[in-house]
Amino acid sequence: MEITVLLILHGILAVFLLGAITHQALGVFWPRRPGQTDFVANARGVRPQIYATPIAIMYVAQFILGALLYPTYRVVARPPLQDLQLTYIIGFFEVKENFAAIMLAMLPAYLYFWKRGPEVASTRAGITAILFLTTWYNFIAGHIVNNARGLF
Amino acid sequence: MMEKLGSRALPAFAIGFALYYAPGYAFTGANSSFSWPLFTYFPAVDMWNWGLVPGNDNIGPPMWWYGWIASAAVVGLAFAAIAMLLPEKSTAKAWSVAIWVVPVVMFAFLLNWELSWFVPGWQPISLSSPAAPAGPAAPPGPPPAPE
Repeated sequence: MEITVLLILHGILAVFLLGAITHQALGVFWPRRPGQTDFVANARGVRPQIYATPIAIMYVAQFILGALLYPTYRVVARPPLQDLQLTYIIGFFEVKENFAAIMLAMLPAYLYFWKRGPEVASTRAGITAILFLTTWYNFIAGHIVNNARGLF
Repeated sequence: MMEKLGSRALPAFAIGFALYYAPGYAFTGANSSFSWPLFTYFPAVDMWNWGLVPGNDNIGPPMWWYGWIASAAVVGLAFAAIAMLLPEKSTAKAWSVAIWVVPVVMFAFLLNWELSWFVPGWQPISLSSPAAPAGPAAPPGPPPAPE
């Protein structure tokens, strides 16, 4: 029961994290131009810098939840996937855990560069882009892995 | 001080972490000669062991992920300490570029080894001879598992 609760929390927090990093990435790479008032433009019209700290906090919390869930996945969820020879599903998770670990180590630098000025804009953009892509991958991969037992 | 810490130590930590973690994942196997993970966890029996310990039928599958992260964090801290000793002005640009280039390169490195999960019969591309470590230890049948 606790594992199910943790898994649901992991999923809910993932949505918040995904929303925040997406808004930030849009603000960096596709900012709103003056005069644009439609829905998409407003989603892009955020101040990216204010998202940095909440993203870092949510990422750490999400990582901890994932770390708590991992043993159950390893013992309960993965063996049937191996028995069914659904190795690509396992592969999705392998990539996810590697993305998560390396991005966790990048968080302090990510926060630092977001507190700096325009002189490090390209570095900031690079780190944000990587965090955006890995977060989206982890979200989708996590869902696929979680749903696999229900699909096969 | 904080500026020096941020401009050098924080990127250096992330770079050192990635440079250790990626090979650690790729080259850890039951027969590895080097203990890449700092410790091993056996979730089936809730048991922790120092270093790389393979699993068996009695204690179940090993988890090395926590150990890889711990080892990589130690290496990252070492990189950060070294970075603080290097000249600030001449290395500032390098750190600000390497902070995102190195992880991307390490992701590509990892993909080379992770493809064995997706492509049957995939052999990771290695710079050394065909007798190079196979990365994820391969049981009979389909790819996997370093863990």
